[in-house]
Amino acid sequence: MKTVTIDPITRLEGHGKISIFLNDKGDVENAYLQIPELRGFERFSQGRRAEDMPQITSRICGVCPVAHHFAATKALDAAFNVDPPSAAKKLRELMYMGYFIYDHTLHFYYLGGPDFVVGPDAPPAKRNVIGVIEKAGVEIGKEVIKHRAYGQRITAILGGKATHPVCGLPGGVSKGLNKDEVQDIKKMVDSCIEFAKFSLKLFDDIVLKNKNYVDLILSDPYTLKTYNMGLVDKNNKVNFYDGKIRVTDQQGKEKVKFDVKDYYKNIAEHVEEWTYIKFPYLKIVGWKGFQDGKDSGIYRVGPLGRLNAAEGMATPLADKEYKRFYETLGGKAVNSTLAFHWARLIELLYATERAKELINDPEITSQKIRNPVGKPGEGMGVTEAARGTLIHHYKLDKNGLIEKANLIVATTNNAGAINMSVRDAAKGVIKKGNVDNSILNMVEMAFRAYDPCFACATHALPGGMPLEIKVYDCNKKLYKTLRQNL
Amino acid sequence: MKTIILGVGNQILGDDGVGVHVANELKKHIQHPDITIDEAITGGMNLLDLILNYDKAIIIDAVKTDTEENGKVKRILLSDFSTMHSCNPHDVSLIEAIEIAKKMGETRIPKEIIIIGIMMRQIPCEFREKLSKNIATAVPKAVKMTLIEIKKDLKDLKSR
Repeated sequence: MKTVTIDPITRLEGHGKISIFLNDKGDVENAYLQIPELRGFERFSQGRRAEDMPQITSRICGVCPVAHHFAATKALDAAFNVDPPSAAKKLRELMYMGYFIYDHTLHFYYLGGPDFVVGPDAPPAKRNVIGVIEKAGVEIGKEVIKHRAYGQRITAILGGKATHPVCGLPGGVSKGLNKDEVQDIKKMVDSCIEFAKFSLKLFDDIVLKNKNYVDLILSDPYTLKTYNMGLVDKNNKVNFYDGKIRVTDQQGKEKVKFDVKDYYKNIAEHVEEWTYIKFPYLKIVGWKGFQDGKDSGIYRVGPLGRLNAAEGMATPLADKEYKRFYETLGGKAVNSTLAFHWARLIELLYATERAKELINDPEITSQKIRNPVGKPGEGMGVTEAARGTLIHHYKLDKNGLIEKANLIVATTNNAGAINMSVRDAAKGVIKKGNVDNSILNMVEMAFRAYDPCFACATHALPGGMPLEIKVYDCNKKLYKTLRQNL
Repeated sequence: MKTIILGVGNQILGDDGVGVHVANELKKHIQHPDITIDEAITGGMNLLDLILNYDKAIIIDAVKTDTEENGKVKRILLSDFSTMHSCNPHDVSLIEAIEIAKKMGETRIPKEIIIIGIMMRQIPCEFREKLSKNIATAVPKAVKMTLIEIKKDLKDLKSR
């Protein structure tokens, strides 16, 4: 075995750049996924008005503005020592459900779904949403577009703007709901529930009834036995907007459970020389390198992490699906990376059911939506972004200006696991130096399951995920380069 | 002819926001009932939503390139497009979004979509509000090119 160091020059180039190192037998020794990390946020934030943070941070990422908006708003609630009125919390959570509806819909049908609906072996030109529509039918395509738009409209009604909300204020929200808006949302939510049920049935028919797919989901290259993390309510049910951070082990047993204010007592970050990304891990377990198992502190977040970290869903239909999920995939915890897709659809159903509960709550039209703030101090806020646990932490000076800011974003929480999944997928397909284009898709499937948000991977080519894989031989000499969409 | 000019980019990511800088500059030059100037930080599906119902869309955006000179401004037809804001792992590209919409029978897609692209060698990865020197000099060039594009269709446009 050779020790490999990676030229640090490569660390900032490209998106989804993967380097694979082979041993002298031509099998995979190691693999590294390099993703560009946005830098300088703390310095950028210093001296800014704290109440601007929900707007500023919603611009960090074109993908989850709503999640950043509320993680920031909640951190400010804590920093200004104010508890929002219960109606404000419900309005925030309802808006959050709109965000989950459009985000999860987009991922399943447009991004992750094509691998299954069209098939993992289909040529790349077919493996996209157009292929999904061709296979499932134009009518279904219309339903997808309609319900994604509903999710966005719910978010826009509550947030002021669909993509970059302006409603969150420390101590509450700036805008309530009127009766017309309630009626409008009620109609959309009812339709979304049916759409979520339909999506689960589609998954059932196309994926779960196909033994090859189920075998693929359960196969070794796509199995990773890490810890799991997610927010839970007081009954340990999945919650997207609020609760305690719960971590469970490879068998689904609780390892730790903590308030966000104690995050730094529970999570530490490991630094590698080949990337700016910091790899978070559980302090109580420790960093043992890129490996899974109970002795390694790496954990997963996102739909699969959340389901594993909880004991059920808080709404009836989603909870039924939750139970079926574990019965089908062999009990707790489910460690199959590709099960993220199913978990995502169960969460979609939960989001629609929860939205219905909230919009039917008499308090949702209350005008008591903001409490006065206290003196500025320090605060942490946590939400579940669609792709996993998101933490904001601010320290304010006596004038309410930002002194210190720290964020731990969802894809960072998953960074260690994504890296291992990429490596294992590569190991599954590269043997004795045989490298061909089929590894592109197998590797892409491994990290796409996480729905990663490569923050600044915005200037890229159309037509799909830009990906470059460089394979090096045991002498670190470039052996082969595979590219798609570049 | 109803036209939308859309500056695309993230203003807190330095050069990434150049499209928005250009749009803001254009607002000072153009006032016409048929022209809308807006900004967006988004791509793909959301970007398509913003340009529906217009006859023509002019999208001003940074374009990642490995061969062109940094800060060069180019007029590109969407159909020739090789690089675009709007493709991230959690979205489809604008071209894909348009293709999907057409399949669904969408009739409100602009007949003409032009990109005013500001060539960029490096992807900005650092939070800052200012543009780099090279890219800042591209702003007036992009403004000029957009005005020429507009005047082709609207002879009565009074630019200030």
